[in-house]
Amino acid sequence: MDGMMAQETQRQEPQEQDVLLRIRDLQVQYQVRAGTTRGVDHVDLDVYKGETLGLVGESACGKSTMGRAILRLVSEPGKIVGGQMWFNGVDLLAKSDVEMARIRGKEISMIFQDPMTSLNPLQRIDQHYIETLLTHERGLSKAQALRLAKGMFDNLGIQPERLSDYPHQLSGGMRQRVMIGLALVLNSQLVIADEPTTSLDVIVEAQILDLLKELKQQYGMTMVLISHNLGIVAELADRVAVMYAGKLVEVAPSLALFDQPLHPYTQGLLASLPNIRVEDEELHVMFGAPPDLIHPPTGCRFHPRCPRALPRCAQEEPPYRQVEGGRWTACWLYP
Amino acid sequence: MAETTVTSNNIVQRRGGPVRWFLTNAKWHGAEWWIMLLGGALLVAIILMTLFANQIAPYDPIKFVGAPFTRPGAEQSVIVLEVTSSVQGLSDLAGRAVGVITGSQGARELDARGLSYERYSSPRRAVEALYKGEIAALVADADDPKLKQQARQQGVEVKTVGEPFGATFRLGTDNYGRDVFSRIVHGARIVLGIAILAALLSAAVGVPLGLLSGFFGGFLDKALSLVMDSLYSFPGLILAIAMAALLGPGMLNVTVAIAVIYIPVYFRLVRSKVLSVKEELYVEAARSLGAKAFTTLWLYVFPNVIPSIVVIFSVNVADSILTEAGLSFLGLGMPPPTPDWGFDLSAGKRFVPSGYWWLITYPGAMIALLTLGFSMLGEGLNEILNPRLTEG
Repeated sequence: MDGMMAQETQRQEPQEQDVLLRIRDLQVQYQVRAGTTRGVDHVDLDVYKGETLGLVGESACGKSTMGRAILRLVSEPGKIVGGQMWFNGVDLLAKSDVEMARIRGKEISMIFQDPMTSLNPLQRIDQHYIETLLTHERGLSKAQALRLAKGMFDNLGIQPERLSDYPHQLSGGMRQRVMIGLALVLNSQLVIADEPTTSLDVIVEAQILDLLKELKQQYGMTMVLISHNLGIVAELADRVAVMYAGKLVEVAPSLALFDQPLHPYTQGLLASLPNIRVEDEELHVMFGAPPDLIHPPTGCRFHPRCPRALPRCAQEEPPYRQVEGGRWTACWLYP
Repeated sequence: MAETTVTSNNIVQRRGGPVRWFLTNAKWHGAEWWIMLLGGALLVAIILMTLFANQIAPYDPIKFVGAPFTRPGAEQSVIVLEVTSSVQGLSDLAGRAVGVITGSQGARELDARGLSYERYSSPRRAVEALYKGEIAALVADADDPKLKQQARQQGVEVKTVGEPFGATFRLGTDNYGRDVFSRIVHGARIVLGIAILAALLSAAVGVPLGLLSGFFGGFLDKALSLVMDSLYSFPGLILAIAMAALLGPGMLNVTVAIAVIYIPVYFRLVRSKVLSVKEELYVEAARSLGAKAFTTLWLYVFPNVIPSIVVIFSVNVADSILTEAGLSFLGLGMPPPTPDWGFDLSAGKRFVPSGYWWLITYPGAMIALLTLGFSMLGEGLNEILNPRLTEG
């Protein structure tokens, strides 16, 4: 294990101290009646301090599972069955449940997809804040907690009076702001945003994205942005990780990835976006359907759908390795 | 609860709360609303009746206050009879030798006034005694045909003095001469007490168990579910009979016997509700913010389960009333002299073929009314509190 670790470290370009979250060989499996689903299969990923990492992929590719796995909140029947996760050099998988609860919300927090249901309908907004603050900061009085919540509301652009509202009295955009505030109120170093704008309309989406950008600068947080929307990722992310069928297929700096995707899956993904500058262009279609994760294809999981598949792709799994500076991919086209 | 904070620059005002929500968002019209209102009115009436039982009931429910099987509404009055004109009315009876006929209402009326008297086993002897001067007056039922006949046969001129006096039994008397109305009024107290206490008790046990079982799952959940499902699979009354037989009579024991059979109702309801609520995103969000398991359960899951408990509670009380009545009907309820609707029902049923219908009709109707009240309240509340109906 140590040998492997050393090897991994050598391959990283940025320095060791810049890594906030290091994931190695992470495996999350769902035991269902039909068999074992490999939701996240042997994933290696580093998240650097201060960056925004976009995690993209189609539905059910394991990106949300990965986000939850970082907080150890994979819901039943899912389980983290292998791998390591270090957060600031601390082994997350070695923590007890109680210690993990202390990390959640304080060091790492999460923003969920659906703001309409992510607040307790029977609790006022201020109670959400007070409870979160008091859980992590012993010795804080309610009045102090409320003051912190009000300060947060100033940053979120909501009137402080709305703190005494119930969730149903707020709009969807406001609720998502409230959730973002809850994730940030304790100055979490890492925020995992799981499709934070998916259920919002375009205008509100733009506002929330602006808010996230602003808050990121203000709080200096690191963010993992999980999304299937490449536009959002292009706008916010510094680096992008592309997932397919539970595996990482490509990780690259944002500009480089959108400019020149390496993996055929990423190429297909980008090609299937309509381009408003070209008239009458026929939309590129990626054939086939995402694979069954209980019985994944042999070799490269993308080979049945890959337009550039080699004979080798069906037999051997391509290793995940660095192709050029900061660009990683798992594909036999780049040996 | 967070306190409303008033600071110099901004005032956080409390805008809306659960009560306000209820007032503005609940349905205040339609059939459900009337059903709930009617059920509530029925219950308020019955509860008031139990609270003022001593004022409302004209007689002691366990004393023999009248002749057996007096018809509802019948006045059972007595008259004073004498021959020598020495007695001019009820007020002159004190200190005199007074006679009554065994089994007549006179004895009870004199008892009630603290007067002493002598019993005579038959009208003939009583009239003889009156004639011989052994007694100064005879107190007898106003409509006793045998007495008049005896007087005629013995050639005695019997005078009626004073106004007839006595008791009216609004709902008649039972086979022992106890006032049915008084027994019903006092019986409401017993039946309501037992039913509500039993429902509270089973909620107090079933709800926490359901919360724990649903929330934590695992072995605890499996074991508890098995126990509760086996309890649930018993027919309720049979189980209550077994429990009551095991525990013996007495108010608390009957309450426990009834409570036991309703624990699974709460358990199953709460558990299934918790299973769905704990999958809600806000519970997961709370966990992602570091909330402890107990906090999550208490602040996020439990409050969202309460509405369904309230509804089931009301329906449950209705059910326990029936079970209580069933138990005492079978003789496993309160010990006999205690006024109890179910027991009166079972004691009175023997006399129905003889035409004494009022012995069981009134207790039966009260059981039905009280059950109906709780059912209507529960169903009405269910419809009104149902968010699917209020949001539309």
